[in-house]
Amino acid sequence: MSTISNSTNIFWQECPVGKAERQKLLNQKGCVVWITGLSGSGKSTLACSLSRELHSRGKLSYILDGDNLRHGINKDLGFKPEDRTENIRRVGEIAKLFADAGLICIASLISPYRKDRDACRAMLPDANFIEVFMNMPLELCESRDAKGLYKLARAGKIRGFTGIDDPYEQPLNCEIEIQQNNGVCLLPAALAGQVLTYLEEKGFLQVE
Amino acid sequence: MNASRLQWASSSPALSTGLETSSSCSKLGFVNFRGGGGCGDSLKTKKGLFVIKAMDVEGSRTVNLNGHAGDSDKNGSLLSSIGNSTNIQWHQCSVKKEDRENMLKQKGCVIWITGLSGSGKSTVACALSGILYRRGKLAYVLDGDNVRHGLNRDLGFKAEDRAENIRRIGEVAKLFADAGVICIASLISPYRRDRDACRALLPAGEFIEVFMDIPLHVCEARDPKGLYKLARAGKIKGFTGIDDPYESPLNCEIALRHTGGECASPCEMAEEVISYLEEKGFLQA
Repeated sequence: MSTISNSTNIFWQECPVGKAERQKLLNQKGCVVWITGLSGSGKSTLACSLSRELHSRGKLSYILDGDNLRHGINKDLGFKPEDRTENIRRVGEIAKLFADAGLICIASLISPYRKDRDACRAMLPDANFIEVFMNMPLELCESRDAKGLYKLARAGKIRGFTGIDDPYEQPLNCEIEIQQNNGVCLLPAALAGQVLTYLEEKGFLQVE
Repeated sequence: MNASRLQWASSSPALSTGLETSSSCSKLGFVNFRGGGGCGDSLKTKKGLFVIKAMDVEGSRTVNLNGHAGDSDKNGSLLSSIGNSTNIQWHQCSVKKEDRENMLKQKGCVIWITGLSGSGKSTVACALSGILYRRGKLAYVLDGDNVRHGLNRDLGFKAEDRAENIRRIGEVAKLFADAGVICIASLISPYRRDRDACRALLPAGEFIEVFMDIPLHVCEARDPKGLYKLARAGKIKGFTGIDDPYESPLNCEIALRHTGGECASPCEMAEEVISYLEEKGFLQA
């Protein structure tokens, strides 16, 4: 029997159909593409674009968008630090399940704290955690202000807004860093192409 | 002049070329709606896109997209209010569930296997996943025990923790079904209200409740994990079937029974579920 924090008497159930079988069925390797960055840096846009490119190549992906999940499983969580941590922990665990199912799971959320992102990385063995940092300057994100949130934050109507009065801790060793090119943003399809190339090179888009 | 590139949360092929706008439009966001019906202050463009003005009203929340119910503010725009999270916008994407289902040649759904400890839930779940795999279908088992090692490791067995355990698994199963996967959830889930709440998360017909209708004495005789013995000795409290209730489903889709002193084999039981899936069209796009 195993003893896991609150739950004793929990047994690990083994099944003959495992990750290897599912990967063979899908002809791809399950993994987590974790897109992190400020609000308005283009995470959801990249996630959509990547998902579309993968679909056009016959690969199964699924987007776990931070906002969307806060409508469902994470509806009980707010934005104070412990809630952000729990939000990210849950998304990480769900992403892990999706990767185990053989899907290319694209997680798109601000995930501002390094410790929380690293904890998710630690959940996935075998280099199946691919951190993508949308390294866009605050000024650019704020000028876009796609959801009108920076304005509200500057007016003090939202507290603890990342980039304004809550920190964003940049990744120190992400797999892919997306930046502007001489102050110009690449189009989403081109950015998706960058991630796709990485996935291809590392062998996620086929099974030997 | 500062041209700011428009930011949008979802994209269609028409948008993927990118659009430049003048700074006067920088507060507008384009989103791709399924079907008709914008919300609040919206204009339909030639390309069938809906332009939503980001509201700048005191106390306002993000405009609610994608047909969610919400309250209107004094300007008549729909506001969303989701639990603890305000300023949350729904992001739509151009790859839809139907697209994934067409690719996988199956339809996503949740098979929710409920019953006493030792009734055979995990065994049938495994058998089912094996049969589906051999037929080229993608399935994934969410086993209550396994999920308690990861996502639900912070939860115990008191009533509110059981409810939260089931709620979270229901939400995850919903995500898998949306991904096109045949998601097999296998957990005691003893309270009717909690199971019904999961049913309500999914579109009609996509939640398939399978009741392992095996009598307590049969489960206890099996006692595969030695838990009934511990429960009878008072070493585990609140154990379902002994000193915590199991509420049988009232209208499950499939009931797998113990007939005349004999149990069908796990494979035979799994085949019953397969027949149901076939009849209802889940094993094709």
